[in-house]
Order: sequence, then structure tokens, then C-alpha cells
Amino acid sequence: MIQLQTIAKHYPAGFGKVYVLRNITLDVKEGEFVSIMGPSGSGKSTLLHILGLLEEPSEGEYLFLDEPVQKLSEKKRTDLHRHHIGFVFQAYHLIDELTVYENIETPLLYKGVSSSERKSRVAELLDRFNMVAKKDLFPSQLSGGQQQLVGVARAIVHNPKVIFADEPTGNLHSEQADEIMELFQKLNKEDKVTIIQVTHSEKNAGYGHRTIRLKDGWMA
Amino acid sequence: MLRNYFKIAFRTLLRNRVFSMINILGLGLGIAAFVFILEYVSLEKSVNQFHTHVDRMYRIMNVAPNGTSWGEVEPGWATLAQDRFPEIETYCRFADGIASGVVQKPDGGVSFKEEAIGYADGNFFEFFSFPLLKGDPTTLRQPNIVFLSESAATKYFPAASPLGQTLLLHNQFGKTTYTVGGVFEDMTEQSDIRYDMVCSLETLKNPTNTNGNDWVRLDNLDNQYINAFLLIKEKADHQALEAKLNALRQERSEENDGVVFRLQPATNIHLAASFDEPLQTTGNVRYVYMLAGIALLIVLIAWFNYINLSTANALKRANEVGVRKAIGATSSNLIAQFLGESLLTNALGFGLALILVSTLQPFFNDLIGKEVSLSILGSTSVWAYGVALLGVGSLLSGLYTAWILSRFKAIETLKGKTGSSRRGVWLRKGLVVGQFAISTCLILATIVIYSQLRHLQNGDLGINTEQLLVVSGPQIGKDSTFATRSNAFAYALEQQSFVQEYATSNSVPSRFYNFRTSGFTQPGSRPKDELKSYAFAIIGDRYLNTYGLSLKAGRNFTPEETAVDWNDNSKVLLNERAVAEFGFSSPEVAVRTKIKWDERYLDVIGVVADYHHTNLKNAVDPIIFYPQKSTVYYSIRLTTGQMSEKVASLEKLYKASFPGNPFDYFFMDESYQKAYYEEQQYGKLFTTAALLAIFIACLGLFGLATFTVEARTKEIGVRKVLGASVGSVVVLLSKDFLKLVVGAIIISLPVAAYFLHQWLQDFPYRIHMEWWIFAIAAFLAIFIASFTVGYQAVKAGLMNPVDSLRSE
Ligand SMILES: Nc1ncnc2c1ncn2[C@@H]1O[C@H](COP(=O)(O)OP(=O)(O)O)[C@@H](O)[C@H]1O
Ligand SMILES: [Mg+2]
Repeated sequence: MIQLQTIAKHYPAGFGKVYVLRNITLDVKEGEFVSIMGPSGSGKSTLLHILGLLEEPSEGEYLFLDEPVQKLSEKKRTDLHRHHIGFVFQAYHLIDELTVYENIETPLLYKGVSSSERKSRVAELLDRFNMVAKKDLFPSQLSGGQQQLVGVARAIVHNPKVIFADEPTGNLHSEQADEIMELFQKLNKEDKVTIIQVTHSEKNAGYGHRTIRLKDGWMA
Repeated sequence: MLRNYFKIAFRTLLRNRVFSMINILGLGLGIAAFVFILEYVSLEKSVNQFHTHVDRMYRIMNVAPNGTSWGEVEPGWATLAQDRFPEIETYCRFADGIASGVVQKPDGGVSFKEEAIGYADGNFFEFFSFPLLKGDPTTLRQPNIVFLSESAATKYFPAASPLGQTLLLHNQFGKTTYTVGGVFEDMTEQSDIRYDMVCSLETLKNPTNTNGNDWVRLDNLDNQYINAFLLIKEKADHQALEAKLNALRQERSEENDGVVFRLQPATNIHLAASFDEPLQTTGNVRYVYMLAGIALLIVLIAWFNYINLSTANALKRANEVGVRKAIGATSSNLIAQFLGESLLTNALGFGLALILVSTLQPFFNDLIGKEVSLSILGSTSVWAYGVALLGVGSLLSGLYTAWILSRFKAIETLKGKTGSSRRGVWLRKGLVVGQFAISTCLILATIVIYSQLRHLQNGDLGINTEQLLVVSGPQIGKDSTFATRSNAFAYALEQQSFVQEYATSNSVPSRFYNFRTSGFTQPGSRPKDELKSYAFAIIGDRYLNTYGLSLKAGRNFTPEETAVDWNDNSKVLLNERAVAEFGFSSPEVAVRTKIKWDERYLDVIGVVADYHHTNLKNAVDPIIFYPQKSTVYYSIRLTTGQMSEKVASLEKLYKASFPGNPFDYFFMDESYQKAYYEEQQYGKLFTTAALLAIFIACLGLFGLATFTVEARTKEIGVRKVLGASVGSVVVLLSKDFLKLVVGAIIISLPVAAYFLHQWLQDFPYRIHMEWWIFAIAAFLAIFIASFTVGYQAVKAGLMNPVDSLRSE
């Protein structure tokens, strides 16, 4: 489903450029659960953003669902986000002005899902995550763990094929972290969602099928 | 989706309360000002347009060789023209000014001085579209018929039905009885013709009704006193007709004054079709457009606030933009969302504006001195332009901010990049400069207008107006005993200890001359000198003394000279300006020379020192003083103190000599001030506009300062820990803003000075724009801006640094 062929990423710096990623070749099959680990600044987030089509690689080739993504138009890219990709962020990045319910609903709005379908889908997730009572609260009224649950719900509400999670438990206590990890595992097993997560914790990495290690932009 | 956008928009407004308030308040005030001025423009544009055939109506105008034009023409032309030129369907004539006098109920009952009377052709109520409430319009074709306005009808006949009742009109044509033939709806400010009474012009055809005033003959071609409107046939060419009229004038006129006819479309009598249209209008098109411009500038300032505050707030929104893009929003989704926010803000501003308009309407009406309301907007299509403009403005300001905000790249904001905060910063600075440039212009205009007004109000008129009261002479009771009674009144005045001096005259300062005319020469005159026009003031022998006028040469009229019949008199006085106009080298030379008026020779017996007979807005006119025993005005200088008692005693004397006449008086100094009404209105208007502009601009500045302080809290904390003083923090935070304000001043002052200089050129007696006027304007702008920014800056300077550092 995801194929990286000698991907590199560099940024301009001074008169030259600085490489953040080098020579990354990676293959992720549908239904896999992959963890990415590495020290701070090693390029994990950059790699995840490239995988998630938020950033473009400077060199190499990337096939997403067997399609080369370098040539994709902005519109096509947004289409992939709407239909196949979900994101979970370390800082949750919920929209402050929207309630729990509305936050979860938003991807469906952009996708153009009908109102009745939206209702049933969001209700289903609220129920599944035990958040029905909290649906009208705003993010600031929730604990970090709860916020991240909403973040995950929002990431999967539109039935994506793959979830990219950048340190999803980085701001959480271990109990809350376990909850999220178990959720991921369940999503992966039962719903066949492909998951690629960045994490600092060996324990969390253990939830995945395999772990990719980065150092200074190189795959170890 | 749309609901979702509005929900977010609404919640965002609530969350950023201060900024929403600033935006909504600014927009509310700006739009309210805009709506008010739209009302005014609508009123001005709608004047005279309600007549059914207004597109085919033309007023005959006289245009002198020097370009001045006026609508009073000789009455004979219209009739002649209709006979000759088939393209004229019909015409209607009416005369103001000549009719004013005292109107009395016949039973010797109440009498009132009436100014708004006209004599009109019999088809007046068919030609024009003034709604009649009672009576048949054709009745006006008969002599001795008067139509009353609804209010005049209730004034004279509060109980009975006015139709068929009689009224006596006492004026220069003697005493005439009129029967009420109809009642018309009160004429509104949407009409330039505003009569309380319309008398049938037919009345004046009977010589017994003209008191020997032969000049009023309706077929005459040499006395200009009537307005003549032509209704031309459909598709007729009015320019061709104008040429024919001038040919007719060439053929028939006996005047050699170089005056030509112009046909002025009735639609353009109030407001000219363009700025450089030379024909006289009753309204002022420049003023109307200037007001519209100011209104627009004020709303612009409010929109600039919206743009500035929203883009300054962009940083806070960047994260949201990033997230939304990551979960599938396109740029157009986001633009729609932010546009929704801006439209909501504008809609709320509009709502506030409507509340403001409905509550502040009386203040605005007072400000412009006219009665308008929202309903006036329906009378022209101006409102559509206004709404379109507001729509486009909201849309553009919204689109720009939406575009700025939606351009954030998801990846940058998610990584927490701050570089994007500089986005739109140049435009923001530009807009602040624009706002303060507009404000400073308005401040400067306010100062200059008020200085000029003060200059006019306190300027030296050349006459003494202190304690000077003017009483209108009697109109009722000009019978065989009148001469005795008026002599008795004059004698009584002289006897009063509280009367210092008094004079009689037909013209008084601050009001009109008796007339202007040409045809004067002296032995040394050059060709065409006979085309020069002179003002006539008819005065008694005590006039110079009472007004404190000195003679530059020669002597004053004697009482005997004022008693000579008009046509037998051969003595006149000139003012210094007239002496110059005649081309005399000195007052002494003038006094030694006879001047010629058409076929008559006149002795210049004296030269009067120049003074401002009309007001200080006009240069001194060349005046010829003509002696007559007059009872039109009594100018009376009172001793100081106890004015009301003295006026009451005067009234008693007046009523004793002139029973039945209303005692109508005014004070000379107040009468002069009335001439500056327009400048006073300008002054009030610019003050309001300037205050509004600067207030809205400062709201925006306050918002920006708040952002800056918020964004730099940590920096300020660190600086304070390192030992920065409050003052240095204030300077640090204020100086960037003040630089912008200073920039605005540098840009705006020369521009404003240019336009104000142009404006001042219309005044022969004007102030010089001295450096201190600019200094005050600049100081005010800087002071107000520093005050606005200073509040936030001082607050930041005084804060405990630990708080800000801990908030990390
Ligand atoms: N837009 C950019 N311009 C320049 N350097 C960048 C940019 N984005 C990331 N970097 C640099 O790339 C490196 C890798 O960053 P990141 O992928 O966020 O690492 P990680 O997530 O593993 O901590 C860091 O040194 C970071 O400073
Ligand atoms: Mg990272």
C-alpha cells in the first residue's frame, strides 16, 4: 500500500542544504501496524508527514495505493486525505471552537457525507469510545486522555485505510497511553486499519508488528 | 456545512470578545454614518424629481457674460416662446419674493408676516405634481384666488373649512382680497418650491391690484422677477429650442446686457449633473459628493480594522487551518469559512448600525439641519448603490482576510512555525497609515473650517451692529393717514431715552440689496463699462449715521432729498468700491462728476466708506445708495441692558402707529451670523466625521496594540528581569505604532492642505493656513494615538515579569 523508494528530504540552510532524511526505502502492506522510533530530531515527524502527504520528499519516489504521489494535484491530495488518511497528533490539535461531537463530525462534512449518515457514524464512535455523555463539551473541558480519544475518533470517523499518529501518547499518562494503544491494536485487528505511529516508548512500539528505527535521517 | 461555518464563526467571535467588539462597534458606527449620509444623499438626489413630467421640464435661466446665472427672467418670454415654438407643450411661471407681505383675516382678525408666498400661473397645480387635498386645480386660473398649504389652512382657519374663505394680502401691490380655492399638502424638503400660499398670477393682470407697479406687467420683456418653466414635447430637442429662444431674445429684447438664455433641465435644478456645470443650482453637488466620500472613508476605516485585527489574529488561527487541511479541507473550504466569519461580523455591525440609526436619527437631522429618515432611501436608487458598496466592502475585506488565513500550510502550522506571523504585515502597516491619514485630514479640515468660521463671525464688517434691532415696516393700513402715522412713529422713536439712533431704509445690511442693475457710465468710461452691474440700496438720511458709516468725500443726503419722487431724484451716494468700478481716480473726483444711468444724469454727492453689506463671504460690492423716504425697515440702536422690556415698549409704539400689523424684528448681529449657517453645518459635520474616524481608527489601533503586547509578553518579561524600566518598555511597544501615525501625518497634511486651500479660495475674506494649524492637527493625531497605544504599553510595562515567564 505504501512504497518509499530512496526517499530523501532536505531543507535549504545558509548557502547549502541540510538533509533531514536520506535514502529511505520502505514498504508497508495493508493491515500492518508499524512503529517508528528514534532520537529527537532524527526525522521521524518529517517521515510521517511525507507518508501522510503533508510534505513532499525532495528526492525519491513514493507510491501511495500504487499511485505516484509526487505528481498529484492539490485536489487529488485533499481527496486522499478525505477518504483514506487519518491523523492523530501529539498535541491532539482539536478545534477549540467545536464540541466533541462537532470535532468528530468535521472530516465527514469535508467528505460530503449526508447528515443522517454523519449522525449515525458519530453516534457509533461516541458509543464505542464511551464519550456519549461528553459529546457537547468543548476540548478545553476534557482531560488530555479524553482529548486524544476524540482525536482518534476524528481520525477514524471517515473509515480511512491508514492512520498516521505522531507521538499520540506523548502528552499522556501511561494508563491513558495504554488505552490509546489498545484502541489502535483493536482498530488494526478488527477494522483492518493500517497504522503507522511515531513513538518514544519501546512498550508502545511493541503494540506494532515491526519497528523502524531512524538516526540522523538514516534508517538503522 | 454552512451551518457548521456559522457555528464556528459565532463561537470564534464570542471567544475573541475584545476583537469582535472592536470590529462590530467600528463597523456599526461606520455603517451608521454611511446610512445617515445615504439618507442625506437620497434626499438631495430626490429633490424635485417627483413631478410627473420632470424629464421634460426645463427652467429658463439667464446667464451673464461673466458666467453668473439666475432663474428670474422677464415674464413675457414664456408666452412669446409658446406661441412661436411648437415643441413647447406648455409653460408655468411663478414669482417668489415679490409677494411677501402680511396676511390678515378679513374680520380685522389675526395677521401674520408671510414670506413663502408665490404668484403662479393658473396651471401651477397641473404642471407640477403637488398633491391637492381640497379644491379644483383649475380654480387658480381665476384672479384673486389663493391655494393654502395644509398648515397655513389650519393656521388661519383652525375650525372652519378653508375653501371659499377670504384672506387679505398686504404687500407692495397694496391690499388685495383672495378667496381660498384649494388646499395642498405641505411642500416638503423634497421640493425646491416650498410655498405656504400660492396666489393666482392672473390677479396681477388687473392694474387695480398692482398699486402702480408697472414693472410687474406679465407681457413685459425688461423686468426679471419670475421663474419660467417650460414643458417640452416628447423627443423635442431642448438644445435646439435654447438656440431659438436666444434668437428670439436677440430679436425682441431691448436690453444690451449680453445676457443669454440657457435651458436648465428640471432634474438638475437642485444638483448639477456634473461638478463643473456653471448654471446656478439650489443644492450643492460638491457638498453632497464630498459627504458621500467622507461616509465611505469612515466605513473604510472600519473595514481596515477588520482586516488588521483578523490578520494579526492569524497566528491563533493557523493551527486550526493546519488541522482542517490535514483532515480534508481545501483552501476554498477554508476561504468559505473565514468569509462566513467576516460576513457575520459585518452583519452584526449592520445590525448595530440600524439600532444606532434609529436612535440617533434626531441628532443627525439636527446636524444637517434637515428632516430625513430611513424611508427617504426608497425615493431614489441611491440605496442600491449603497447596499452594493457595503456588500462589496464586506466581501473584499472578508475575502482578503480569508485568503491570508487559508494560505497557511498545514505542515508549517502543525510544526509550530511562527514565521507566518509576518504575513500581511506590510499591508497591515499600510492600512494603519491609511486610517490615520484619513483621520488627520478630517482633523485638519475641522480646525480650518472652524478657524474660517470664527474669522467670518468675528470679522470687521465696517459697520456697527451692536444693540441694533431692525423692525419690518407695516404692510397693513397704507391709507391716507399712513404718512402721518409713520411720521408719528419716527417721532416717537426719537423721543425714547433707550433709542440711541434710528434709521429708515428699504434695504438693510445682512439682507438683500433692493436690486442690481447695469447701464451706468461716466465721462471717462470705457466701452462695455455700461455692462458692469451695481447694487442698489435705498436708504433714508439717517442710515449712515445709525450704522456708523463714514464719508470719504462729499456729504450725506438731506431729509428733503429723501422726499423727492423716485424719477425726479438726481442725487446718489457711492461706496468706495463703486468709485473704483466707475474708474474714478479718487472719491473727490467722483463727487465732482455726474454719472449717467441709461438716459438720466445723477450727481454723486458723497462717497461712503466700504463695508460688508451682505456678509463676509462676499467681497464688497459696488453700491449705489439712492435716497427715499422709506418705511420698509426701521433700524434702531438701543441702549444696553433690559432688552426684552425695550423690545416690548417698541412693540407698543409700533402697534399704536400701525394697528393690525405683526411686530416682526431681528437683531442685526444675529442676522449676519445666519449667513454663515452653511459653514457652521460644515463645521459640525466635519467635527463629527473627524471624531468618528479617529475613534474607529483608535479602536483598531487599540486592538493591534493588545495583540502586540500579547505576542511580546515573554520578551517584555525577560527585558524587565534584565532591568528594563517601565518607560523603556512603553517606548519599545509604542514606537512602531507612532512611526506609522507620523507617516500618516506626513502623507495626509499636504493633501488636506491642498483641498482646504481650494475651499478657502471661495472666501474673499479668509484665514491663512498658518503652521500652527498643522501643528495642532499633527499633535492631536499623535496625542490620541499615543494615548490609545500607551494604555496597553503601560499595562505591559507595569506587569510583574514572573507572571509572563511562568505562563510558558
Ligand atoms: N521546515 C524546516 N526547515 C528546516 N529544518 C527543518 C524543517 N522542518 C524540520 N526541520 C529539521 O529537521 C530535523 C528533523 O525534524 P523532525 O522530523 O521534526 O524530527 P523528530 O520528529 O524526529 O524529532 C530537525 O533538526 C528539524 O529542525
Ligand atoms: Mg517529532
